[in-house]
Amino acid sequence: MNDIVLALRNATKLYAGVAAIENVDFELRRGEIHALVGENGAGKSTLTKVMAGVVTLSSGTMQVNGVDAAPRTPLEARHLGIAMVFQENSLVPTMTVAQNLFLGQERFYNRLRGIYIAAQQFLQSLNFDVTPTATVGLLGAAKKQMVEIARAVLHQAKVIIFDEPTATLTPEEKKYFFDLVRDLKRRGVSIVFISHALEEALILADRITILRDGKHVVTDDAANFDRARIVQAMVGRDLSNTLYGTRKTAVRPAGARVLTVQNLKMAPMVKNNSLSIFAGQITGVFGLVGAGRTETFKVVAGVLKRDFFHGGEVILHDKPVRYRVPAPAVRAGIAYVTEDRKVEGFYETMSVARNIYLGLLAKLPGGRFFLSGREADRVGKTWVEKLRVRSTGNDMKVVELSGGNQQKVVIAKSLVQDPDLIIFDEPTRGVDVGAIVEIHELIQRLADEGKAVVVISSYLPEIMALSDRILVSRQGKVVEEFSALEATEEKIMYAAVH
Amino acid sequence: MIAALRDFVDRFLGRGDATITVPSFDGALKPNQILEKAETIAQFEAPEDLATDGTVLYIADGPAILRLNASATSEVRRFDRTVTALCCLPDGGLAVALDGREVQVFATPSSTSATATFSDPAINAINTLSPGPHGTLIATDGSTARPWQQWVHDLMERGRSGKVLTLDIAGGRVRTLAAGLHYAFGVCAAGEAVLVSESWRHRIIAIAPDGSWRTVLDNLPVYPSRLSPAAGGGFWLTAFTARTQLVEFVLRESAYRRRMMNEIDPEYWIAPKLKSGQSFLEPMQGAHIKTMGVVKPWAPPRSYGLIIRLNADGLPLYALHSRVDGVNHGIVAAVEMNGSLYALAKGPGRLLRMPSAGIEQELRA
Repeated sequence: MNDIVLALRNATKLYAGVAAIENVDFELRRGEIHALVGENGAGKSTLTKVMAGVVTLSSGTMQVNGVDAAPRTPLEARHLGIAMVFQENSLVPTMTVAQNLFLGQERFYNRLRGIYIAAQQFLQSLNFDVTPTATVGLLGAAKKQMVEIARAVLHQAKVIIFDEPTATLTPEEKKYFFDLVRDLKRRGVSIVFISHALEEALILADRITILRDGKHVVTDDAANFDRARIVQAMVGRDLSNTLYGTRKTAVRPAGARVLTVQNLKMAPMVKNNSLSIFAGQITGVFGLVGAGRTETFKVVAGVLKRDFFHGGEVILHDKPVRYRVPAPAVRAGIAYVTEDRKVEGFYETMSVARNIYLGLLAKLPGGRFFLSGREADRVGKTWVEKLRVRSTGNDMKVVELSGGNQQKVVIAKSLVQDPDLIIFDEPTRGVDVGAIVEIHELIQRLADEGKAVVVISSYLPEIMALSDRILVSRQGKVVEEFSALEATEEKIMYAAVH
Repeated sequence: MIAALRDFVDRFLGRGDATITVPSFDGALKPNQILEKAETIAQFEAPEDLATDGTVLYIADGPAILRLNASATSEVRRFDRTVTALCCLPDGGLAVALDGREVQVFATPSSTSATATFSDPAINAINTLSPGPHGTLIATDGSTARPWQQWVHDLMERGRSGKVLTLDIAGGRVRTLAAGLHYAFGVCAAGEAVLVSESWRHRIIAIAPDGSWRTVLDNLPVYPSRLSPAAGGGFWLTAFTARTQLVEFVLRESAYRRRMMNEIDPEYWIAPKLKSGQSFLEPMQGAHIKTMGVVKPWAPPRSYGLIIRLNADGLPLYALHSRVDGVNHGIVAAVEMNGSLYALAKGPGRLLRMPSAGIEQELRA
């Protein structure tokens, strides 16, 4: 009997020519719990999306029960017995549990009571304590997870893929979830789960596969792993081959304390977060996705609001501040360079110069009634030259620029405000190699000029190469601080995942 | 009326004065494990204070005063009451506080009788002695409401009856330099002024001879305690534990606090501790102490170990830590002698030693 229910051979997926996964081999045995572990961008999600039919392979093969398969949609994958439970669950919050369970299987005439009875019987058979008539939006994270799992089992899934299933669960809910997964295993269901929490992988999984930079590193029995081996395999890239190979030998001393965040709360992402930012230094903030880094600094910059009750304090230059919108934060000298430039960074159909000029206007109290095209051109030209934005002219639309040059426009839009505190959120995401070097030089220059600089990045080598001090964020709060001189990738990753 | 309304709204929303926040350990207070890794050279039953004359280290352990010889200790003298504070005087003398209520001054550490005794009824909980200017002795009296052992009670009652006293050794007079302090615990002369730790206000203040004062260091994330001069100028400041939001919250809730004090064994109060992890009855900090069975160094502290190096202006330069997962907690005294820093961890009852040069070397690395 063939024990392999799902196999991928030489799986490669290219996004715009860039490999998200490259020649990955993966095997899932019947009734096993298989953990997929890796840094952000390691290719875990892409690999699971291939299995679930969300994306298709660029090259390589996939076999289900020994038969070649290439699901092109989640529906096709479901027919093959593969279901995926996403981190952001795919339930309809305004519908009841039963309606969600049978979503997509409705008949022309549906008797609601019949659906509820069937759902009740089915949930009881799984030992799930969920009321079928409850509205999904009102359920807690764990119960939603149960509904997702129940739906997968209802669809007779033989392979269930979980993407960060425990990220939103409380410790009690996690324990309950572990029991559920073990129960599924007993029923012969094979489980793939992505987790950043290494202890969970070690406790729950039968086997662990580690991916790094889109490539398969190792697959082995969980019993043969310990935390140190996993972390080593996750981060053990050859630094000499990257842009970030040089290690810091000196760090800038801390200047005046510019920003203090004390016990900041913004449910559910930021949980009691405390940190300080100093002038004349680059503070790198590292954490895995969902660590609450972006949200914390968006609260600082007035893009998001902290919790209304007992939301903590933001202290700028020794004075408590609370910005409900970004404008007063900009005027107070805070610039936030967004991680999602296409949505939040610029108006793509406006010219480079006008976009940069908008940054300047944001700093002016009350804005301006009459706008000067000449001033916009002058400001735009100055910053295009300063940041070496490669455009054919001031009138060129931002959408026509490359990713790196678009990022430079977003940065120029913030720097034109002459801020004291500049927050770069994933400053080189989707940026070409040449522009990365230039953006890094710019960030270094700002710190040398005495500005307080924050760099939020999920890419460890970038954090290590840029930062004078490194804050590690986990589950909504900063848990550890390292000087760039003492930090190692292993130490940082240990703090980020434990 | 508007102020009262604002107070109510602040309290309801957790804003303004009612904000329950605690500063983080960063900047000069960035955590390390130097204190945790320090060499343990002796262990005691009930250590209280350290003192040095520059060549010999004296330890107050219960009713006894011990002296450190190489790595062993020998008893110098014994009293009938607990020694709560100890200091060496510039003329070779030794001053001791007994049970917090009496101060005796001896011409030499081994003198049979005291040259001066201060047992003013106003003295209640002397916890620090330090040589002052012009042949005086400066003392901090933590609380006039509670004896020295009941410092937690004083905190939970939001005590503000601490005093700084000047004891005139020659004249036998006691003068109150400052009063109404939120638990005065730690004093050190700084020129004509004296630096004083005000533990419940988490700050260091400088008091001038005329009694006027200014804040030197404010909003510390810890409860500061004793101060001692550092060899290269400046001071060593110890902190017997770190602040937590949970304790700050309890300190705002008077009814809860009263009930806790009436009904719960003080050992298990939600209050700062000098050591922790001994009993499952201890209140946890929102279940964040342990993750998957492992104590995390960054968890909210129930007890903590910290020494802060201050410069001559009283500003922090760096700090030595024993973090939540460590044991060298409850640091109540630190003195520098012969190129080493000695610290008293009252939690485990340990005398710790670290080479001064090694500390800076490790922090630079």
